[in-house]
Amino acid sequence: MKFLMKLLKRREVVVVLLLAIVVAVVGAINPVFVRPATLIDIVTSALILILLGVGESFVIITRGIDVSVGAVMGFAAVCLGLAANAGLSVPLSFGIAVLAGLVAGAISGAGVAFFKVPPIIMTLGTMGVLRGLMPVMTGGSWIDAVPQTVKNFAAARFLGLPATIWITLAIVIVTTIVLRRVRVARYFYPVGDNEEGAFLLGIPVAATKFAAYVISGGFAGIAAIFFVSQLSFVPMQAGSGQEMRAVAASVLGGVSLAGGLGTPIAPLVGGVFLTAIDSILVFLKVPAFWNDAVAGAILLAVVLFDYKIRTMMENEKKKARMLGRASGGLSGGLASGRKPADAQEGLR
Amino acid sequence: MAVTTETLISMKSIWKFFGGVAVLKGVDLDLRAGEVHSLLGGNGSGKSTLMKILSGAYVKDQGTVEAGGRPVVFAGPEAAHEQGIYLVPQEPKVFPNMSVFENVICGMRAKPAEMLGLVQKYAQDLGFEGSLSDEASSLSIANQQLVEIIRGLVRDARVLILDEPTSTLTFKEVKSLFETIRLLTSKGIGIFFISHRLNEILEISDRVSVLRDGVIVMTEPTSTLSSGDLVRAMLPAGEAKVELENAARGEVRADAPILFEASHLTGEGFTDVSFKVREGEVLGFAGVVGAGRTELAHAILGLDSFASGDVLMRGKKLTRRSPRACQDAGIGYLPEDRHLHGIFLDLPNVDTMTAGILSRLGKPFISRKREDEVAKKYIDELQIKVSSGAQVSRTLSGGNQQKVVISKILSAGPELVILDEPTRGVDAKARLDVYRLIRSLKKSGISVILISSDLSEVIQESDRILVMHNGRIEAEFAQGDFDLERITASAFGIAG
Repeated sequence: MKFLMKLLKRREVVVVLLLAIVVAVVGAINPVFVRPATLIDIVTSALILILLGVGESFVIITRGIDVSVGAVMGFAAVCLGLAANAGLSVPLSFGIAVLAGLVAGAISGAGVAFFKVPPIIMTLGTMGVLRGLMPVMTGGSWIDAVPQTVKNFAAARFLGLPATIWITLAIVIVTTIVLRRVRVARYFYPVGDNEEGAFLLGIPVAATKFAAYVISGGFAGIAAIFFVSQLSFVPMQAGSGQEMRAVAASVLGGVSLAGGLGTPIAPLVGGVFLTAIDSILVFLKVPAFWNDAVAGAILLAVVLFDYKIRTMMENEKKKARMLGRASGGLSGGLASGRKPADAQEGLR
Repeated sequence: MAVTTETLISMKSIWKFFGGVAVLKGVDLDLRAGEVHSLLGGNGSGKSTLMKILSGAYVKDQGTVEAGGRPVVFAGPEAAHEQGIYLVPQEPKVFPNMSVFENVICGMRAKPAEMLGLVQKYAQDLGFEGSLSDEASSLSIANQQLVEIIRGLVRDARVLILDEPTSTLTFKEVKSLFETIRLLTSKGIGIFFISHRLNEILEISDRVSVLRDGVIVMTEPTSTLSSGDLVRAMLPAGEAKVELENAARGEVRADAPILFEASHLTGEGFTDVSFKVREGEVLGFAGVVGAGRTELAHAILGLDSFASGDVLMRGKKLTRRSPRACQDAGIGYLPEDRHLHGIFLDLPNVDTMTAGILSRLGKPFISRKREDEVAKKYIDELQIKVSSGAQVSRTLSGGNQQKVVISKILSAGPELVILDEPTRGVDAKARLDVYRLIRSLKKSGISVILISSDLSEVIQESDRILVMHNGRIEAEFAQGDFDLERITASAFGIAG
């Protein structure tokens, strides 16, 4: 029971339950929706969002934001397409895409961590530069006719599912474990939770922030591989608008914009949820124009609800502290206002 | 306490400059194993800077630091940790979203599993009551402080710096902290103890050093000291007796009606505070930083909530709690940090001056003419050095910016003005202008609450002085009864 309560306090679990309910309801209305093929389709189209979200989560956990991930993905996709069409091998082209992402992330990271540019300004700048570079690199046209060998990546199947799903799952699991278990990887949390405290404990704050943006760029590079091999061409607007969806997926899954909280599982469930909403609206015969509005409304509802609960708990604690101090002072010391019982169940 | 002759830390002629100004001017300080060495000093005397240098948060400009007899240079906090020096900051820096255990070991190289036993042992030794898996956000301040101390201990600290550890603790928590300190010193750990509370310093420490203006003016064993000695050591040389010049100031009639009343206010940072202000009275609030004066002002203004108590204006209870409501009720506030809370730096002066009274300057469109009239009036009255109201505030000197903020308050036509550290960061000339202003406010029947850490200023300008200490009103002094030494003693918590 205690375990169950603990589980319910995690946003990932809440979102998964919510998703299950929605899927069940829609399935009851239109059984086609719950066919395995449909569900696999939804997950497959969520993969890019999930990968961008995993990278984005690293940045948000350090209390930053990276609005360039969509542009970085587009830029990396262009690099990949040009490389592949120039006759480079598939692994090499993929490596170039990831490298392009890492470099773009390193630029944002250096600005934020070492030159102290506010994250949103810095990444907006990176986004602008990369979006501008894309047509310069291609001469303004799309890149099409990517070699079949590149497309094979998205078409490969393993144990009855697209290999890309397995790869994404593996990435989420590995990053989650690394974030939990590896000492240096744990630094992302204290830096976002209490930057000054982290500094006083000797944690390399600037290097940690820098790393977060590099990682975010790297994941955008991986997302570019998925993007190109799924789509088999690179339009100039590749990745446009994805940055906001990546932030939304992470936050929906429980990564706190206030920093210090969240896991890569968050963008996994958040990304699937947002993508599922798109398909659900189709199945419910709601015009596709509604997709963004509905997704936005759901995000707002979840975040507002979460925020309300948090501020309520904060206020309770603050009040207990004030009164504890007052009575403690008056009568020569009573209780120290120790913890409201409901806040005891820590996460992690 | 087992004070030995082993010297843990020895600092010699430490200098530190901030923007060309010397904050530490050749400080010598040492710490022996097993001793509590208290560091005392007024605001801005350099205590925090010195301790930040020792803990690696700042880099010294000159001088040497020796740990265990060897000279050391700290590039950052981690380097200080390696030498066994750990700073417990005034506000414990815990990570609210992590467990207690994770908080303790965060940033350490050892494997968590190896640390568990050690952390458990220290937690038990220090009487930490909660579970190590509790989320840190649920801890009381006292327990957060214990987490900080345990952090230091598991890093094998032999030197702990406690920066005003008691300022946020209740009476009982202070007692248990002192037990912890005695336990630690009995194991040979040396402790630098920073506090504004003289009785606590006398109770817990073996030696006391007094820092004044970046210089150590006294280092003595506690056993030879009285609180009076400490107070005298902190006072500026030659200013022990300040001559008062009250000639230019009118008296407040004893039968002047009560304008403002605070009744049993309790909130975060202040406890059970009651006082009254008469019409045309200047009420001074003295005390050290952190005594709860700014918090009190913020609560009165509705910027922060308070737990209990009432605020009354002319006998009428103020129920709406917001700065706007206060302005409507006739209360103006000059914030402590004018850049952060008082002025629109990149806008013309006139915009700041009229920001609070836009609704009175014409509807629906603001009359530029009336705005300029307001600006001109205060530029003349307060002798603000500007070319015109259109000059951008950022280009003004600190004193003139201060006057622009004061204009904003006065333009709303207040009956009571709360001035929070009005002369901090302004030059001597502008300082005199502020005093002139206080007197002219008083002459025109406006009451003033003057919050200031500059005691001679409070004494010079007030009709009555309340001294706050640790969130309470410690003492009240009527005019003619002002005494720098006694007021200082009260500000440091010694009944005067």
